[in-house]
Amino acid sequence: MSEFERQLVRALERREPPAGFTSRVLAAASQQPAPSRGQSWRWAFVLRAAPVMAALLVVAGGALYQNYERIERGEAAKQQLLLAVKIAGAKLYDAQQRVVSIGAIRGAGTEEEQ
Amino acid sequence: MAISATQKGIAEVRSDAAPPFADVVEIHKSMVFSIAWHFLRDRALSEELAQDVFLELHRHWAAMKSSEHIVFWLRKVTCNRCIDVVRRRKLRRETSLEESPEPAMLERVQDPLLSAYLQRMVASLPEKQRLLVVLRYQEGMEPEEIARMLNMNASTVKTQISRALELLRAKTAQRLKTQREAEA
Repeated sequence: MSEFERQLVRALERREPPAGFTSRVLAAASQQPAPSRGQSWRWAFVLRAAPVMAALLVVAGGALYQNYERIERGEAAKQQLLLAVKIAGAKLYDAQQRVVSIGAIRGAGTEEEQ
Repeated sequence: MAISATQKGIAEVRSDAAPPFADVVEIHKSMVFSIAWHFLRDRALSEELAQDVFLELHRHWAAMKSSEHIVFWLRKVTCNRCIDVVRRRKLRRETSLEESPEPAMLERVQDPLLSAYLQRMVASLPEKQRLLVVLRYQEGMEPEEIARMLNMNASTVKTQISRALELLRAKTAQRLKTQREAEA
């Protein structure tokens, strides 16, 4: 350290605050709520609650996923049913058309005989 | 061997007994007040700031792990508060050393007067350099320590301190020269 720096150290020596500083601080501190330990308690609470929260999240997630799967299965079954109804409808329509055409042929034969 | 008040403070903080807050105020009041004083050069404002810092410490008391932690915390919060005060209230118009006025009385550059002169010169440094000089030469902190505390690069701290020293040296040398010429 140079001589100049030593002079600087001397110039910047610590000085005492005005008399009664400590008592004023302590008086003001006593007006505040008691020193809080809330911060560490909050952390302890978070650390303890974390596994429970994680388990709850897993359970809730599982339930939601099951519900989603159930809806998906229902939707697939509905689509299959609709397809089956469509196919059956088409078959019935074909059968009806055949019956109608057979009826028409028979009607024409009876008229010729007469 | 006598146990210092600081060591006693650590023991009590760690043992989770009744907090020795009063001891901590008593031990560190000059540190906090002096950082503020050398930075702000306003006794009333420095006292108010120091009081606020200790009240904040009181609010965060439970988070204090050791006396080293308390010192680190106090220095850091005091520095931040000082910068806040200067920026918020525009307490002092920031002037360069070249612009800063000479004291009205032509003081002899002797130790006590030189100290007062240097204090004024330090107070006229730009705020960041002023803070670094106060921490380096009042608190005796190493540049790396200051850098960690203020979240700065250690080389930046060193550069800023050496620039501040150059300015202070130049100004003091100029003053000595002027004085010698006046005496001749």
